[in-house]
Amino acid sequence: MNVLIVEDEILLAMELSFLIEEVGCVDVGHAMSSADALAMAADLRPDLALVDVHLQDGPTGIDLARHIASDCGVVALFMTANVKRLPADFAGACGVVGKPYSEHGMKAALRYLDICLRDGRAPGLAPAGLQLAPAWAERWGVGDLPRIA
Amino acid sequence: MTTPGFLPPLTRRRVASREGEAAGRGDLERALAEKTALLHEVDHRVKNNLQLVSSLLLLQARHAADPVVRQALRAAQARINAVAIVHRRLFQGEDPERFDVAAFLRDMVEDVIGGSGRTDIRVTLDLERTDLPTAQAAPLALLISELLGNAILHGFPDGREGAITVTAAREGDQLRIEIADNGVGVPTTGSTPGIGQTIVKHLCSQLRADCQVADAGPGVRATVRLPLDGVH
Repeated sequence: MNVLIVEDEILLAMELSFLIEEVGCVDVGHAMSSADALAMAADLRPDLALVDVHLQDGPTGIDLARHIASDCGVVALFMTANVKRLPADFAGACGVVGKPYSEHGMKAALRYLDICLRDGRAPGLAPAGLQLAPAWAERWGVGDLPRIA
Repeated sequence: MTTPGFLPPLTRRRVASREGEAAGRGDLERALAEKTALLHEVDHRVKNNLQLVSSLLLLQARHAADPVVRQALRAAQARINAVAIVHRRLFQGEDPERFDVAAFLRDMVEDVIGGSGRTDIRVTLDLERTDLPTAQAAPLALLISELLGNAILHGFPDGREGAITVTAAREGDQLRIEIADNGVGVPTTGSTPGIGQTIVKHLCSQLRADCQVADAGPGVRATVRLPLDGVH
């Protein structure tokens, strides 16, 4: 799975890059502003874009997720400390990983989404650190899975 | 004391208060909204900074050539991560002054066991919902992180498979949290206590909790008893 990092905190982006490679995905690039992210999404067509809500040009991550989905067909996954502020429809993004995420939490989310995007179906319930958008959970058949405590 | 031509002070105050009531309420609402916004901003910064600290330690551990240094940085990172796990949940619930211990323990166990890569350790959770004051969240997280880390590291060395049970139950005016493994047993006698044991001892005294680590034959059972003063 090809992954684009959209994050204005450069050291977080550096560490994310390692996590992406460690789960067998490819880090295709890194943008710090919504304009750069939009251009890179159009150019590189990644399978997934990890999108922080606050970027160099302000709280533009939510609009960015909508744009890359409608203009380039790129799926976003939000990374934010403020999960509650996301719109109910997740702006078309497939879900959110809350900050501060752990190394394991982010890796588990990436592995899970890699399978979901490849098969069009979830391999089970989402791991603890990942909250799926309702529309994507339905598309991947997560609602049909048995609930476990 | 009334000066002719002027309203008495009490009446003046009444008129002023009636006129000012609507404006006063508006001011109060604005002040409250500002305070709430500020609180969210601070919460946002704390979470982002914890993320930065955690990622920095991971980066530094990657660049350490010496395995002992790498291990030390990893241990520090695990402790920061314990604090990060509770913070992720803070301000997401209805009451910012309380946190749900059961939900926290579920997150913590999944993260620590999952992060250890030990798929050969089975985990059973038996957790009763209890809300504790937010002020206790970080020290409790650090305490549980040490005990859980010990169970994995010392209980199941060299890929030995086994099981860990984590229990949280209210007993009278106490919360009992128990981490029991069926591993190789207590290696605590002898040598000077490590930083882990020191952290456990001091955090217990900070939390006014009692911690007993006992031979469970097989394995080890660590029991923490935490006072629940007026917690419901």
